[in-house]
Formats: sequence, structure tokens, C-alpha cells
Amino acid sequence: MILEVIILGTFKMYGEFSRKSFQRAAAYRFDAWTRIIGNVMFLFMWGFIWYGLYHGKGEVEGVSFQAMLSYILISQALQGLHGAGTPLWEIQERVRTGDIAMEMLRPYDYPTRMLFSDFGSITFYFMTAIVPLYTVLFLVLKPVVPTSFSQGGLFVVSAILGYLIRYCIELTFGLFTFWLVETGGVEDIFYFAISLFSGSVIPLWFFPGWLEQVAGYLPFQGIFFVPNSIFVGQLTGQAVWDALLSQVIWLLICYAILRFVWAKASMKIVIQGG
Amino acid sequence: MVESWLRGISMYFYMVSASIRAQLQYRYAFIMNILGWAMTYAGTAITMWVLLYSFGTLEGWIFWELIFLFALAVLSWGVCMIFFFHFRSLDQYIVNGTFDRFLVRPIHPFFHFMAMKFDVGAFGQFLFSIVAVALSYSHLNLHWQAWQWLVFLGAVWGGTLIQGGLLVAISAMAFWTTRSERLYWVVMWPAKNLMNYPLTIYPRVIQLLVIFVLPFAFVNYLPALLLLGKTSQTMAPFWGFLSPFVGMIFFWLCFRLWMLGLNRYKSAGS
Amino acid sequence: MGLIEVNHLSKHYQIAKRQEGLGGALRSLFHREYMTKMAVQDISFAVNRGEVVGYIGPNGAGKSTTIKMLTGILVPTSGEIRVNGIIPFKERQKNARQIGVVFGQRTQLWWDLPTIESFELLKQVFEVPDQRYRQNMATFSDILGLGEFLYTPVRQLSLGQRMRADIAASLLHDPVILFLDEPTIGLDVVAKERMRTFIKEINRERGVTVILTTHDMSDIEKLCQRMILIDKGRVMYDGELAKIKERFGKERVLIVDLEGEATDFSIAGAAVIKQEGNRMWLRFSRDEVTASQLINQISEKYEIKDVTIKDPEIDVMIRHIYEKGMDGQADYQQE
Repeated sequence: MILEVIILGTFKMYGEFSRKSFQRAAAYRFDAWTRIIGNVMFLFMWGFIWYGLYHGKGEVEGVSFQAMLSYILISQALQGLHGAGTPLWEIQERVRTGDIAMEMLRPYDYPTRMLFSDFGSITFYFMTAIVPLYTVLFLVLKPVVPTSFSQGGLFVVSAILGYLIRYCIELTFGLFTFWLVETGGVEDIFYFAISLFSGSVIPLWFFPGWLEQVAGYLPFQGIFFVPNSIFVGQLTGQAVWDALLSQVIWLLICYAILRFVWAKASMKIVIQGG
Repeated sequence: MVESWLRGISMYFYMVSASIRAQLQYRYAFIMNILGWAMTYAGTAITMWVLLYSFGTLEGWIFWELIFLFALAVLSWGVCMIFFFHFRSLDQYIVNGTFDRFLVRPIHPFFHFMAMKFDVGAFGQFLFSIVAVALSYSHLNLHWQAWQWLVFLGAVWGGTLIQGGLLVAISAMAFWTTRSERLYWVVMWPAKNLMNYPLTIYPRVIQLLVIFVLPFAFVNYLPALLLLGKTSQTMAPFWGFLSPFVGMIFFWLCFRLWMLGLNRYKSAGS
Repeated sequence: MGLIEVNHLSKHYQIAKRQEGLGGALRSLFHREYMTKMAVQDISFAVNRGEVVGYIGPNGAGKSTTIKMLTGILVPTSGEIRVNGIIPFKERQKNARQIGVVFGQRTQLWWDLPTIESFELLKQVFEVPDQRYRQNMATFSDILGLGEFLYTPVRQLSLGQRMRADIAASLLHDPVILFLDEPTIGLDVVAKERMRTFIKEINRERGVTVILTTHDMSDIEKLCQRMILIDKGRVMYDGELAKIKERFGKERVLIVDLEGEATDFSIAGAAVIKQEGNRMWLRFSRDEVTASQLINQISEKYEIKDVTIKDPEIDVMIRHIYEKGMDGQADYQQE
């Protein structure tokens, strides 16, 4: 009974952060509009690149152009959602200005609070931009879509797991700012890994064999590649469950690393004052 | 007239040297910045390689041709960044009022603003693009004649002016809307990315747009046709010669737009 | 003829009305409604060589707008300006050579460079001859104590140091006129005093005409022979500070503490403006009754424990002018 009250209260508090950032996102509409323009331009670019690559070819590696188009669409939609969260440079900025150090004094867990804030802005962006835009695109372009509820449901679960993996990795990278004077290099590694190994623009099945293996051993594939593949039906049957399991394992590992780095950062703040 | 130009140029170099010294104050950041840029472009090149691994060609362009196309754009972008990259943050100067200082000094505000920064981080672009151009030159067994070297230089010169012009035009928007940085990231940056791939993969409308309205095609695609000895169904090869001229005209137009914006700033304030 | 001549100067802005909601934001992309804001309305004044003029008014009164027009940053809507014979917005660069400008809140120096580098850069920009540059630097270092931070990057300077560097930078090219926009804002008492001494000195020694805006009335009291008071874009008062004091300073307030309760308190020639227990605030005019007469009168009827006489403070006088205009009754309250 008491436990229930505590859990409910905690949830309400974090929910409040989501609500606040939802309202904030609504107030900064200009940002949302410009973000969607950039998103559409990249979608456009990748759409035509794949169209050009498939020109005169039927199936490549057993994948049709329709499936590839679907892959690009859903990937770009997910990337749009990820982009509405707190970007890496902002986390770094918060570390530098001491905002995060200040937040550590407050009676809540900062990583959780930031996750809930991001939920708020993502929900706003999802409702006002992603859903209308991509509904129209899917209706007009008629690409491959999930054929069953279970496939759709598994995609949603996988996409959420993917989001959480990226969140843990991004925050961890951001926290490195506590130890680094210059973060340029860290940033570049992060963006490169995210863009290539996550399968955000090129699915892993088109990778050369050895690179595909390397990517398979990295956590990034869980971010976009797994949910996208489930969505377009390239992963089916037992393979889906295996992929989901690997996502869960990677999430646990990434979360453990985040916690470890966070604890170290907290120690550093307590001892040196940020 | 000549004297005032000479004075302007000597002052430009004086201010530029100050800007370089300012950036060298952060030595580690300076090096990381250069390496960071080079790595970012290398990352894109790797993505292109992976992309062509299963497919072989993109509209008849093989990997090294694609790299050449990309590196040519990065090369002139590097030159452009040195002189004009800071134009994108004109909005900050206007919003916090520091732009006024350019108007209480006896030099041309455009010139003064241009001399505010000389972005040495762009050496990262040179590092990548020169290596990439050299590698593709040897892999493709190119043997340029003198006129092709001229086309190459013309493309770098024209590309600098076209991309610089667009940065100037985007910064001019700050005079009206007090926003420019954001515009750069959502309009110019994606548009630049679009041009890393052969123009013919895009619909006709886009091709016409980047030839006649925002002349990005003259930055890399059209000169690359001449330099790689490729043909295209849509464009006659001689278009590639025009880069430097298109660059000058476009830059001049963008400069006029900037001056128009400045006049509007002077009559409306911020 | 004055060094600066301003005739019927006006500046109107078009301000886009903000439209509410998502639809409104979209609509405003295509169509905007404007309203006109009269920042400066029909202002005229002249400033003579060697004057120190305080240009004051509440926030949004049009101070900065006027300064911007005088320096050539803004183009006026109508009216005439001549600064030493030059029309600033037509010959902005030529005007820039004869004026020095300091914006108190924003530095004009190169942020990441040692302070000395900014001076060197400005020397180039304004083409200051070597010898003159050396002389000026020697003088400024002497009075402003620049030596202690010449080789420190501007971003690491304290506000006081930065202001000193900024003002020195604005004087390097020997301007005829110096515009100071809030030169003492944010400074501590010592730094303020130092700044004022310097401004006085360059005015006296070099004959530089100074126009300064400020919120700090002690700047005006210590520096300016003359002040121009503006509000809502119009000149409310232009003249000597002493005259304002004479006009509004006649009325003073006597504060008396009485022994015991005061009932039906009334004294000829003074009005009770406030009462708190046994303490009374009496307003009286120097012309009608002297303080000693008043105290005598009171002591005849009541037992006085303590008295204080308060001169009106300049802030209070100024606020009064904003509220009531020059002709209004001086019925302000002292705090």
C-alpha cells in the first residue's frame, strides 16, 4: 500500500517533467518546423539514392526496392523522433555550464528525469509532425508495411528498446565531458557510429560480410536496424525474438555502463565541485 | 581607389592574423577541430563505400568517381568555411546587440564582419579532400590536360563563391528574421549533403533548381563531368566551364541581398 | 552653431503584431499586421563643444534610439541631425572617425584576445599614427591603470577592467565626441568613481564633448552641467541640473519625533504628509518659512524629541517630472 503510493508519487513527479517539456516544445514551434524540413530533405536524398542504386535491378541480396523504400521511410521517421530528444551537444553544454551538477542536488534521479523530459518533447513532435507527415507518405508511396498486429507490436517494442539503447549511449558519451576538456573527437566517433553501425541509412545486410560481423557485435544495430528490419519483414519468426533478446541484453549492458559512469561523475562533482 | 583597396586588404590580413591567434589560444581544441572535421568526412566516404559494396554503381558512377565528386565539394567548402563560415551566426550578433560595433567604425561592415573570423578548423576539410582527390585521381588513372587543371581550379574558385554566397544570403536573413544559424542547419546543410551524390539521381525539378536558382551543380557535379570525362543525358559538358563565372554572379547577388538587409537593419533596428 | 544639432528628429518603428496559436504563426508567415511604435518623436536640441550632457529617461524612453541615430547606426524617420557638420547616416564611416562609442553592456573588444591586441587592431582600423597611439596609450594606462591587465584576454577581465579598456579603446583615435551608453552600469562604487573621474578628466584636458545615458543619478550630479530628460520619445526637460534642483528642491521635508501623542496637529506654512505614531512628516517650502521658524512654532505647542530635515533627492525629482511634467505640483513623497 505505502509502496504503491511512493511509486505513484514518483511516477507523477517524472510525468510532470514530460508535461513541462511537451509544453516547451509547443512554445518553440519554429524549431519543430525547421526540424521537419531537414528530416524531409534527408528522406528525399536517401530515397533517391536507393532509387538510383536499384535502377535496373530487381532484388539485391533478396531485398526488393519496395522493402528498401519502407526501410528508409521508417528509419527516417524514427530518426526524426530520436532527434527531438536532448542532443549530445546539449548534454555536453549542460555538463560544462554546471547545470547537471546543480541537478544532482535535487531530489530526483537525473538520467530518469531527462528521459521523461525527452518523452514530452518527442510526444509533441510525434503528434504534430511525424504522424501526419509519414501517414501521408506511406499512403502515397505504398511501401511494404507490417502485415500483422504481432509484427507491428514487435516493431513498436523493438523501436522503444532501440530508443532506450541510444539514450543510454548518448548520455554516457555526454557525461564524458566531465573528464574531457575538448569533446570534438568524442562527438565525431559518436555520430559516425550512430549513423553507420546503427543501420540508420544502410541496412546491415548490404554491408560486406566482415563489417556486418563487426556491426553485429556492437550495440548500435539495436537502435535502428532491428526495429526497421522487423517493420519491413526482413526479420521473421525466431530471428525476431533473437534480435529482441539481443536488444534487451545490450540495453542492460548500456544501462549498467551509464550507471557506472554516472556514479563516477557524481563522485567527481562531490569531491571537486563539478 | 587603389589605395583604399590596398588598405582594406592589409587590414583584412591584420584582423585575420588576430583571429588565428585567438583560435590558437585553445591549442588542443584547434587540433581536435581539424581532426574532427577530417574524420567526419572520412565517415561519409566510408558510408559511400559500404553503399556501393553490394550495388557496384550509382547511376553509372563507381566508388572512386563518387569520392571525387564528394571531395571536390569538400575542397571548395573548406576554402569557403575559412572566409564565410562564421556568417551563419550573424543572428547572435544581432540579437545580443554586438552587431552595432561594426557600424561605428570607419570600415565597410561586410568587410569588417568577414574579417572577424578566419576559421582554421577548415584545414580538416583540406586534409580530407586533398587526400581523397589524390587517391581517386590515381585509382581512376586520370591524366588531366592543362585545360582540365584550369577547370579544377575554376571549380574550387566558383564553388567557394557559390557556397560562400549562400552563407552570406542565409546570414542576411538574420536582418529580417533574427535567425540564421538554424536556417543554415536545416536548409543549407541538408542541401549540401544532397550534392554529394550525382545530380541525375534526383528528379528533373531539383536538377533545374540547383543549376538555375541555387547553383550548387556548379560546385562539383558539372565540373566533375568534365574532369572525369563523363557524359550526362541532361547537361551539355561545357556547363562545367562556367563555375567561376556563375560563382561571381551568384556571390554578387548574395552580397547585394546582404546590403539590402543591412539597410533594413539600419532603418528598423533590431 | 552647436557641435551637435538635432532638429525635429523622429524615429518610428513598424512592429509585427504577434499572432497567437499554430494557425496564427502560420498565417504570419504570409501576412503580418503591423503597428507603429514612436520611439523618438520630434526631438530638438543642440550640444556645444566641450559640454558634458546627461541624456536620461526611463527604459524604452528612446535614449538608445537617439544615440544610435547620432552614431549613424540607425536612419531617422524624419528630422535632421548634424554631428560636427556631418549627417551621420549619410556619411557613417566619416562620422565614425570623429566619434567614440561605448555601449556599457557589450564590449567592443575582441573577446578571446589579450586586451592590447584589441587596441592594436583599433589603431589599424582608425589609422591612428604610431606616435599618437603611443602617447594615448601612455596617458590612458596612467589614468585608467590599464597596465595591470593589458596582456589578459578580454574574456577574463572583471567588469570594471573591461569598462576601462572599452572607454580607452573608444578614445584611441582622438574623437571629438564621446557617446557613452550606460558607462557605469553594473560597476561597484569604487569603479564607478574611477570612471567618473576619468570622464571628467578627458573632458577637461582634451575638450572631448561627452553625451552619456545613465540610470544612475549620481553620474549626472557628478558629471553633467546639463541634462536632457526624455520620456516616451519626447524631451521633457533640457537645461541645467541646478535649475531642476531650484525648481523642485525648494520644498523640503521636516521629520519630527514628538514626546507623547499629537492630536489635531497643525502648523502654519507646512503640510502634514505622513504620520506614524509620534513621528510626523511635514512638507514646507523654503520661500515661505524657514526650518528654524517651523521648529520654533512646533516646540511652542509640543515637546520635540528629535528633528531631521531632508533635501529632496534627485531621483525623486526626476520621477516627479516623469509623472507630472515640469509644471506639475511638487507633491512628491520622500522615502
